[in-house]
Amino acid sequence: MRHNSRTVLPGFGLSLGITCTYLSLLVLIPLATVFTKTAELSGPAFWATVTDPRVVASYRVTFGASFVAALVNTVFGLLVAWVLVRYRFPGRRLVDAMVDLPFALPTAVAGIALTTLYVPNGWVGGYLEPLGIQVSYTWIGITVALIFIGLPFVVRTVQPVLDDLEVEVEEAAASLGARRWQTFTRVVFPTVAPALLTGFAMAFARAIGEYGSVVFISGNMPMKTEIVPLLIITKLEQYDYAGATAVALVMLVVSFLLLLTINLLQWVARRRLAV
Amino acid sequence: MSIEVRNLRKAFGTFVALDDVNLDVPGGELVALLGPSGSGKTTLLRIIAGLEPADQGLIRFEGEDTTDRPVRERQVGFVFQHYALFRHMSVFENIAFGLRVRPRPVRPSDEEIRDTVMGLLRLVQLEALGQRRPSELSGGQRQRVALARALAVKPKVLLLDEPFGALDAKVRKELRRWLRRLHEEVHVTSVFVTHDQEEALEVSDRVVIMNEGRVEQSGTPEEVYERPATPFVYGFLGDVNLFHGRIDRGRVKVGASELDAPEWAEARDQAGVAYVRTYDVELTPSSSGRSSIETIVRHIRAFGPVIRLELDRVEDGGSVEAHLPRAQYDKLGLVKGQRVFVSPTSVRVFAGPADGSAARIA
Repeated sequence: MRHNSRTVLPGFGLSLGITCTYLSLLVLIPLATVFTKTAELSGPAFWATVTDPRVVASYRVTFGASFVAALVNTVFGLLVAWVLVRYRFPGRRLVDAMVDLPFALPTAVAGIALTTLYVPNGWVGGYLEPLGIQVSYTWIGITVALIFIGLPFVVRTVQPVLDDLEVEVEEAAASLGARRWQTFTRVVFPTVAPALLTGFAMAFARAIGEYGSVVFISGNMPMKTEIVPLLIITKLEQYDYAGATAVALVMLVVSFLLLLTINLLQWVARRRLAV
Repeated sequence: MSIEVRNLRKAFGTFVALDDVNLDVPGGELVALLGPSGSGKTTLLRIIAGLEPADQGLIRFEGEDTTDRPVRERQVGFVFQHYALFRHMSVFENIAFGLRVRPRPVRPSDEEIRDTVMGLLRLVQLEALGQRRPSELSGGQRQRVALARALAVKPKVLLLDEPFGALDAKVRKELRRWLRRLHEEVHVTSVFVTHDQEEALEVSDRVVIMNEGRVEQSGTPEEVYERPATPFVYGFLGDVNLFHGRIDRGRVKVGASELDAPEWAEARDQAGVAYVRTYDVELTPSSSGRSSIETIVRHIRAFGPVIRLELDRVEDGGSVEAHLPRAQYDKLGLVKGQRVFVSPTSVRVFAGPADGSAARIA
């Protein structure tokens, strides 16, 4: 049945082959070495490394701060996208371009800039200090840095979906008697929810792996403001390669499970939307 | 629920969309706002709905001033050209939306909502499709869902913005007959915007013809078609031939020919344009009097019950279009290049030189 297998989109075999090779070389093989390197440790040694109280505390900081940062980015990213799509104002294109800056800026520069601003005698920190809020060298500072680097993800995933949502749909809701918040919760939000979830997942994933901007603002106090990537670097500097990969492995597995869950949620949401 | 529009003005920047518009829609009627694009008809509809604020003027529903009332309190049903359905909801939930967002004290129970929606689905003949998504429906079906959704809130007024504009010709025709029948069933005061003259004349009780932000004429389809008030209306409704000439003592001189224009008995040698519908002409092989205009047959489109002829005037090369019943055409036995005389049987003369370049406006 040769000509039954012909399709109007030829090249499936070839393109899939290249995709698999490419992904293997760039992603799969490097990640596999994390497993092989970790395997140098015995079972109990592995367990002792990854459940060390200092390491456990760093998981909490990394995943906790990343989660909060991704949440904040979801809320404000939606707002930024909304403003950029729905309103016309002078400088709109400039703001639009600025959204991408966290992508381009070396993260260390961002970290240093944020630290300077938020230290107790900095521009912003000076106002927060009397209120009893300290940002730099605390958990809040880490979150601020992670919010900064994660912002573009939500904006850029939600923007095209909002673009697609005609103003007429909102006008229709209003003409049917819906209040503004009803229009938002029942019409706008369900429509952008899948994109919002994607943006959240990307910002979250990016935050988990972030190193450069955080190390400056966090102060790196053991048990308090140490993030997982910092611990990994520390172990590497001590030539504890197996220990470093063991911690990395835990990160990898947890991140993968989280992203998988988010993807499943998204799949459900998209099926419900059925565009 | 009657609608009154008084002295409405609306400008977008320097563009005047509506210029002192007055309009009366008697309760229970189906009214068409007809005009070319940019004539202000959609703006007028959106202001009636409350989707757009007016710069000046009043809107009254049943005598009550609603000018400053927000759209969600106006109790209007609005149907958009591109349906504007909620794509994440089923057809059923789309129609139920207006009932579900009501404040708790006046919100119907789930059972009542179900009954209402099922009733509306029957009305728009989509009973079996309640659980589908809008994306799974055809254009015509989507527009019927949009209509049912608008009717669910029992609007005082139904407003439709080019409701059939995005549909193909055949579906359009079906749907507009269906809309006419539906209107006879539910009898809610309705205003719909269209740029299609045939649609407006066929569906509505009353046609309002708009041009450049003003109402040119309003009346029943027969009135506006048979007695156009302005040259614009004459040209916009149906095919018409224009003859430029001089009006003098009840006659219009067009080249060597003279057409009767008794309503201009007082006029003394002034510029004028005679409007003649393409079917208000008689063709004869030889001159039949002063009003005959000599022409040469340029093109014949001989299909269907009406034969369309394009003729060139011998005098100045101007073009004349004539529509003849087939029997008459067969009797004449016309061929391309033949000489034939055209005598207008019904002429409407407006003073002033219309745009001289347009010999015929369709």
